[in-house]
Amino acid sequence: MSLQRDPENLEGKTLHRFVDFKDKRILEVGCGEGRLTWKYAGASSLTLGLDPDHSALRIARADCPPDLRERVHLTGASARHIPFVNETFDIAVLAWSL
Amino acid sequence: MVHALSEIHRVLKPGGILLDLRALEDSWPVEIVSSAGWQVSGRLKALPGMMEDDEAANQAMREVESGGWFIQTRVEEFPYFYYWDAPSEMKEFTETDWEGLEKISEEVFRKTASLWASANADARVRMRVRMHIASWQKA
Repeated sequence: MSLQRDPENLEGKTLHRFVDFKDKRILEVGCGEGRLTWKYAGASSLTLGLDPDHSALRIARADCPPDLRERVHLTGASARHIPFVNETFDIAVLAWSL
Repeated sequence: MVHALSEIHRVLKPGGILLDLRALEDSWPVEIVSSAGWQVSGRLKALPGMMEDDEAANQAMREVESGGWFIQTRVEEFPYFYYWDAPSEMKEFTETDWEGLEKISEEVFRKTASLWASANADARVRMRVRMHIASWQKA
């Protein structure tokens, strides 16, 4: 199948117009396979992706671009119990998940 | 949903930003696009449960705003496009990946196939998904 999603990258461009990710600590809720994560994580100081779907996370770990591996961490968890202490992140992204 | 938002509020620094990015369930247009331009061949049918999910999400954000947790600072809509080389590929995708979300009627599929067949050789099928993005600042 020849599916192409958002080849114009309108989603990525809109995201970057909305907020400056540079050197920020970011939590992405519902990161899934990391499709959105790769669009901003390069600017961040640290990106934590949460998703309860472990098979999606396995794909995300395999697909993570080499230059992002140091700053992107993926965790199997749901937003109902976020496994981090208070006031950890500058930005939280609800990625197609509310 | 509100409990998840309270968890996000907890882990954000003071003044931190919450971005809410999601597709709005709608009757998304199906288009034929080529070097000659584009035209709408019909619309998908959004299934009822998904419209209710949108309303539940909007209601949750209204609740956290009225509770003083977050203040909305910006909101926009933008299109997100899916492209396929042929109508049959689009149909297969909607029937598998979007089962229970959006449905293409036989009438819309037939019209899409007909327009695609008579369009330029470079014609593709495009779905225009309506996206919502909003930024909220932790109060």
